[in-house]
Amino acid sequence: MNRFIVAEASKCIGCRTCEVACVLAHTGKEDVEALAGREFHPRLKVLKTLTVSAPVTCHHCEDAPCVNACPSHAISYRDATVQVDQSKCLGCKTCVVACPFGAMEVISRPAIRSFAGIVVADGVKAEAHKCDLCIDRAAGPACVAVCPTDALHVMDETRLAETRARRQLRSALEASNVDAA
Amino acid sequence: MEKHISVCPYCGSGCKLALLVENDKIVGAEALDGVTNQGELCLKGWYGWDFVNDTKILTPRLKSPMIRRSRDAAFEAVTWDEAIAFTAGKLSEIKKKYGPDSIMLTGSSRGTGNESNYVAQKFARAVIGTNNIDCCARVCHGPSVSGLMVTLGNGAMSNSICEIEDTDCILCFGYNAADSHPIVARRILKAKEKGAKIIVCDPRQIETARIADQWLALKNGSNMALVNAFANVLIDEGLYDKEYVANYTEGFEEYKKIVAKYTPEYVEEITGLKAAEIRRAMRAYAGAKTATILWGMGVTQWGQAVDVVKGLSGLALLTGNLGKPNVGVGPVRGQNNVQGACDMGALPNVFPGYYSVKDDEARARFAKAWGVPSLPAEIGMSLTDVPHAAEEGKLKAMYIFGEDPAQTEPDLATVRKGFDALELIIVQDIFMTKTAAYADVILPATSWGEHDGVFSSADRGFQRFYKAVNAKGDVKHDWEIHGLIAKAMGYDGIDYHSTEEIWNELISLCHLYKGATYEKLAGLGYVQWPCTEVDKPGTPWLYEGNEFQTKSKKGLLFAAEWRAPLEKIDAEFPLGLCTVREVGHYSCRSMTGNCVALATLADEPGYVTINPKDAKPLGIRDQELVWVQSRRGKVIARASVTERTNVGAVYMTYQWWIGACNELTIHHVDPISKTPEYKFAAVRVERIADQAWAEAHVVQEYSALKRRLADAAKPGDVAPAKIRAEPVPA
Repeated sequence: MNRFIVAEASKCIGCRTCEVACVLAHTGKEDVEALAGREFHPRLKVLKTLTVSAPVTCHHCEDAPCVNACPSHAISYRDATVQVDQSKCLGCKTCVVACPFGAMEVISRPAIRSFAGIVVADGVKAEAHKCDLCIDRAAGPACVAVCPTDALHVMDETRLAETRARRQLRSALEASNVDAA
Repeated sequence: MEKHISVCPYCGSGCKLALLVENDKIVGAEALDGVTNQGELCLKGWYGWDFVNDTKILTPRLKSPMIRRSRDAAFEAVTWDEAIAFTAGKLSEIKKKYGPDSIMLTGSSRGTGNESNYVAQKFARAVIGTNNIDCCARVCHGPSVSGLMVTLGNGAMSNSICEIEDTDCILCFGYNAADSHPIVARRILKAKEKGAKIIVCDPRQIETARIADQWLALKNGSNMALVNAFANVLIDEGLYDKEYVANYTEGFEEYKKIVAKYTPEYVEEITGLKAAEIRRAMRAYAGAKTATILWGMGVTQWGQAVDVVKGLSGLALLTGNLGKPNVGVGPVRGQNNVQGACDMGALPNVFPGYYSVKDDEARARFAKAWGVPSLPAEIGMSLTDVPHAAEEGKLKAMYIFGEDPAQTEPDLATVRKGFDALELIIVQDIFMTKTAAYADVILPATSWGEHDGVFSSADRGFQRFYKAVNAKGDVKHDWEIHGLIAKAMGYDGIDYHSTEEIWNELISLCHLYKGATYEKLAGLGYVQWPCTEVDKPGTPWLYEGNEFQTKSKKGLLFAAEWRAPLEKIDAEFPLGLCTVREVGHYSCRSMTGNCVALATLADEPGYVTINPKDAKPLGIRDQELVWVQSRRGKVIARASVTERTNVGAVYMTYQWWIGACNELTIHHVDPISKTPEYKFAAVRVERIADQAWAEAHVVQEYSALKRRLADAAKPGDVAPAKIRAEPVPA
């Protein structure tokens, strides 16, 4: 089963610490200086409605619409996650349209290319941008680590099974209450 | 990589963190297992340290003493010797000519620490000879201190931040923990998980209202009516603890008479709440085994604030929710060391340790310790008295230490007029703030991260923080600067070599702090005052045995008639402006505005939040720039159209320099605490048809302001061509 980040809306206080951690974790070096002059594109987004505060992000679906929709096969399954190979991304936005959670975004960055040891500008490079579960980060997802109210968790097969078992038990107890009434 | 223990320099939660240092530069922060934060930090703790490195995102660090010889001249960089001689000379001259009470000083509730606040007030009292010293407690929890001193005898939180999660009921009144103290919000969430009932009284759907069992969305400005109605229910329904009231309180009969009128039905119209809702809330509060009241600026920043604080303490007294663990009254202090600045006596009425300046014995004792013949007995001036006193000519000089009144005081036009009327403005700070730009002398100090010291967290907890890096530039520690000026004015009693030396003098003079030694505070040490003996750990909760710190040792029940906010809404100004906080920025923003992550999340001109029902008829759409105007000023802000904001009110955060809501607020203060009514000014919001012009206007104004401050900080090196205009992120 693919892993994914879950947010407990009852614990989120809408502080956006996770958004900063996300952007920093993808700068290559986790130093705030790397944020200077960069556009801010967190891969999870804190939403606030009248009654809900919670970050929204990729579910790493088992039968992922983005994987199925991508015409250049840039999106694939790897290590129980859904990952994008940016070198193949065209920026066609088919994945953005396909994603039912609004978790996908296409951004473009100034592209650079090395030629005979000299770095030169090379137009713009599009990237399909979404949660990669910090797959290259040894300590795991950065957002989970910084959340001050512990509202974010990585949901994997074991944890999901535990959650289901807990809910089943609750349903059974509620059903017995109904009988008693 | 080195790691240095510190305490977060932002809110009063007192989070312990480690600053990561490479090559004498801070490169990161790590959460430590502190008593209040237990290894957690919010975004300001994780990402709010790079201002120390002089990022120049908003405004530059001050790196050299500067003098301006006339108000229309530019700053000149001078040597410390010259700056000290100039400052001491001017202060002596003004003191001689107009008397010591023509000089006003401030403490600093921010990153400087308790030791330098102790020194600042010693300088005011022993060197200048005045009690004219105040700190920004005046504009935040001043009413909590004034109110609780009268009813319970101690102005601080009665219980600890840690205890919040083990209470059975939280009454959260005018307190938005998620934005002000995320680490306290975390305790509220934990309480909820453990089964506590959460009752929120707030006009807005704040984060805590979202998870509350009951949300009482009272009308802005109806606090006293609701608190009186709460008391009415407790008495009328016999929910109060009769034995407790009889044994440990006084004033019940008078109190009962005043609140008798405030039946839940009577206050329905004033508060906009249903009587049944009010009754239900009090049944839950009184029915809980332990209950805690938390409040913030929603209680204190009103013309009627001290009365409401007294009223809230009355609810705790009526129900016996004091004098034991997991209960109490919690005015949760906003700035990281506003509790400390008060503890150190940076207030016009008390010495360090809360000895009254009117107490002859205390005055004689401090005079002897400080080696002066006498100390002033008259209560000094409040910060909010300054503009008028300056205009009337009573005040001639102001020594502003680590505060930015030109951003944080109400009705900024009046503040500027006051500044113009002063003969001398001394600013001791780490940044070129809007206030510093008004100075005649600038004395640059070391920042948090560049010095040692002790902070007091919101729950009276002393904690040590350590120097992590060396200061860059020709700067000095705050306490050294006060010491040098004192010496130049002929006083040798401020001649210290370390913060520990200052701390030892302080604790030798104050019985409340006597046992809180540097040794006990080392590392992650946490000592909550009162700590009267070295071998005692401190006091997590006050009033053991229900013995209050009042003269009679009893808690005072006190009620007052409700008063409406001063300014009225009308056809011209139909909305009530309330100023609030947002989680990513802090105070006047000189620190967080210079942190790249925090500035990336939110920048000028800031938001005015408005309900869709108010926005629609004005033709205002979400994220558009709008004008907000009051009888005192007009500023530009970005509309955030949200149902979380109640109809009839708009909210702005006070840290924006372009969208400066204090241009709009009113100078109306609580009669006792002199705290301004930041929570209510009549305004109108206007659509701007040409959004492209408005966006360009904000960029232009912001760039011009930043350039002006950057130029001011670089005397003799003004090269506008070099200064790039930065766009305002959307």
